[in-house]
Amino acid sequence: MSLNFFRRVAFGLSPSDKKPDDPLPWALNQLNTVPEFLWPGSIPTEKELRKKYGEWVYGDREVLRKKFKNDKNEYKKAKDDLRLKTGERYFELNEHAIRHYQTKYSQQPVFERFWLFWGNHFAISEKDFLAEFSTGPYQREIIRPNMVKTFEDMVQSVTTSWCMIHHLDNSESVGPNSRRGLESRDTINENHARELLELHTVSPSAGYTQEDVIQLAYIMTGWGHKWSRKNLETGDVWFDQEKHQKGDKQVLGVKYKNDAKRELAKVIHDLATHPVCIEFVSTKLCRHFITDEPTSEMINPVIEAWNKSNGNLIDIHKAVIKQAFKYNDTTHKFHPPEIWLMQLSRMFDLNIPLSSDRMNYNFKSRPTNRQGQLSWILREIGHSPYRAKQPNGWSDVEADWVSPELLLRRFWFASVELPRLVKSENQLHDFIINCLKNNFDNYESMASLIHQFRFGTTEKDLGRKFGVICNLPGVLKV
Amino acid sequence: MNCTRRNFLIGGSTTLFLSGFFPKLSFASMQKKNLIIISLRGGMDGLTAVPVIGDKRLKKLRKKLILEDVLKLNSDFGLHPKLEIFHKLWQNDKAAFVHATNIPYTGRSHFDGQNLMETGAHIPYKEKTGWLGRGLLASDIVGKGLAISLPMPLLLRGVPQNNNFFPSPDFVETKLIDRIYDEFKGDHNELIKSTLDTIRQRPLSMQIATDSDDRKKLAQEAAKQLKDQNGPRVAVFELDGFDTHAAQGGVDGAHADELEEVNEIVKILYENLGQAFDNTLILTLTEFGRTIKQNGGYGTEHGYGSAILMAGGLLKKSQVYTDWPGLKKKELFEGRDLNSTIDSRAVYNSAMSMCFDKDPEFLRRKVFWGDDLPDLTEELFKI
Repeated sequence: MSLNFFRRVAFGLSPSDKKPDDPLPWALNQLNTVPEFLWPGSIPTEKELRKKYGEWVYGDREVLRKKFKNDKNEYKKAKDDLRLKTGERYFELNEHAIRHYQTKYSQQPVFERFWLFWGNHFAISEKDFLAEFSTGPYQREIIRPNMVKTFEDMVQSVTTSWCMIHHLDNSESVGPNSRRGLESRDTINENHARELLELHTVSPSAGYTQEDVIQLAYIMTGWGHKWSRKNLETGDVWFDQEKHQKGDKQVLGVKYKNDAKRELAKVIHDLATHPVCIEFVSTKLCRHFITDEPTSEMINPVIEAWNKSNGNLIDIHKAVIKQAFKYNDTTHKFHPPEIWLMQLSRMFDLNIPLSSDRMNYNFKSRPTNRQGQLSWILREIGHSPYRAKQPNGWSDVEADWVSPELLLRRFWFASVELPRLVKSENQLHDFIINCLKNNFDNYESMASLIHQFRFGTTEKDLGRKFGVICNLPGVLKV
Repeated sequence: MNCTRRNFLIGGSTTLFLSGFFPKLSFASMQKKNLIIISLRGGMDGLTAVPVIGDKRLKKLRKKLILEDVLKLNSDFGLHPKLEIFHKLWQNDKAAFVHATNIPYTGRSHFDGQNLMETGAHIPYKEKTGWLGRGLLASDIVGKGLAISLPMPLLLRGVPQNNNFFPSPDFVETKLIDRIYDEFKGDHNELIKSTLDTIRQRPLSMQIATDSDDRKKLAQEAAKQLKDQNGPRVAVFELDGFDTHAAQGGVDGAHADELEEVNEIVKILYENLGQAFDNTLILTLTEFGRTIKQNGGYGTEHGYGSAILMAGGLLKKSQVYTDWPGLKKKELFEGRDLNSTIDSRAVYNSAMSMCFDKDPEFLRRKVFWGDDLPDLTEELFKI
């Protein structure tokens, strides 16, 4: 078995990780429980952060816009102050630190890889101020606890989460024959219904029609944030019967009797256990861990595990890992920039994220450059995790990550920024060779490459060393 | 404003030409033609950029947003004073505007709207490629797209091998690139290898380190590339910040700041393209216009109809091309927004047809699913 299995299903081995004797059980045993967050700094709850979100939008929309309507400069200044006061510039940086710290130190790194996968499957793309306040806690509180339950449980939680509802506009959706619809002539917004079908569950291969989307949107009407003058759109999610479309509905040939808020759970059950959904999501899992175009031979055992366990994610994850193990030496997978960065950070014990003490924030001045460093790096390498451009999340195929500029950014990071993140005690040649030895079967040829170039020990030389090493074919891919 | 919708229809020719498509093979068309798109994200207000002159209703509804010192275009329309390069080009038939136009999207979500302005589709997020990418592919123009951004914009997706230019904060040593290239020689990964080839063949001027927030530098470099007969034929710029819900202001407000940025990019392109500017078409893209009425914060809300700003030597003449819907309450979309009487995609389709020397009918079918988009090439462009 090649050492790259530890990068295929996790983040490689750190200098202090003990090399597992038996890699497959090592990986499988990590999936039974939800590991605690290790970040010693502040981990605010989703609710706390949503309150901050509310303070920010209320302060801007209801106060500042009115107060400074004649003066764009004063308005801009007051708005910047409000950003600081509400943490609008800070919380995302802290979320990145929590996330990165976890992937770097977790004793269940394989679990963490699945966490990244599901957060991207149920992606929250860049919209309003979700990345600033809500996407991070959504990943922590909605995605993560469901990873030891069933897929259906996860879809239920995600679909009624404030973050996803806001992201896909379900609060704006009104049944045209509901009391509210008849009064205001408002109608449905299909966004959330369409993505629930297309991205989250059955995918277009299920052959649903526009009418199915409309009918599902009818079922979903009424689920939205509780709006109030003070909290605006940041109130809790509830079911508003006044907006709910009356009458029976039918989605993918199944009839749903008029049953108010209970309709949603029923349709989600049917979607999440639909054979096409199972195949679609199993394929995505294999694509993430095995290769861009997984074969049905690779996927079928995952589908079997899914069916056998009634969608239990622990069993599904284990089946995926077994397949990843089986095909480890015969397939290739190119990793997107964030995972690549996390692997480099763990393998070489880089000095990111910033220590939790120094991540503390005063809510008065702009976050420091150091506090923003990790987020800046992620942005510069083109993969700011909570800012996917579209609801389908970040791509998981190589073709989307290999553009001239995106490759150059990796060369830049490894040769210019990374040397500054190497702890001073780790700059020794032997340390680096040891890291390579932990993680690469061909470490000797990597070492001889370094030797051959006669790199010295200046920062520039260190840059050249890492610039090449981190971008070798066997490092960009497993 | 004196003109009504009716006399516009008489004055401006919106009749469909049923002529066949015969690209002229003159010397001019042997020259490479450049198509440059500037995406204006957030909802550009067409009525601020290209205001109607003397409309009492507009004055009444936008008391705090009224522009003084409007540059004159014709008897009906003016130009925002920050768009001075367009005004200068207008004198030489090198600037024109399409007004009361939008993509066929009447929702008011930025995200859905921006998705549709790039895919050219009807349903948000349904299509995963951009109309420009599909247009290039249908025209067999591969490897000639240049995005001035880090991720490949959706607009350009659908055709392989585009380049992008958005330099990292520090220089990457050529030697390092060569070494990585050597290490990939024995690898079977063709995509990375060909991308490394593209990187190595990049002109020296693209191998710079700069602050990619400095749009001016990027525009200068893009112009240099576009000028090259073998360089890119299509470039995509991104600007955001048009979502002015507050303190939108008139001549110096928040919207003016954004228009100034558009002006700056066009000016740099004009100054740096030299002769090639005559073989260039620049046009803007936005997801929607803004409400007629100012809001409580002296800004505007998300609306519908907007305007397309165009510049370049490939324009037929200086004109405000429109089928003006009027601003009376009943003429507005849902009683609040400038209506859209021209599907913006007709302009895009015609622009691609002219720049890529392809039959508009063919492109309409290949790129826009055969949607009903009139051919405007004769009205808008030199052909």
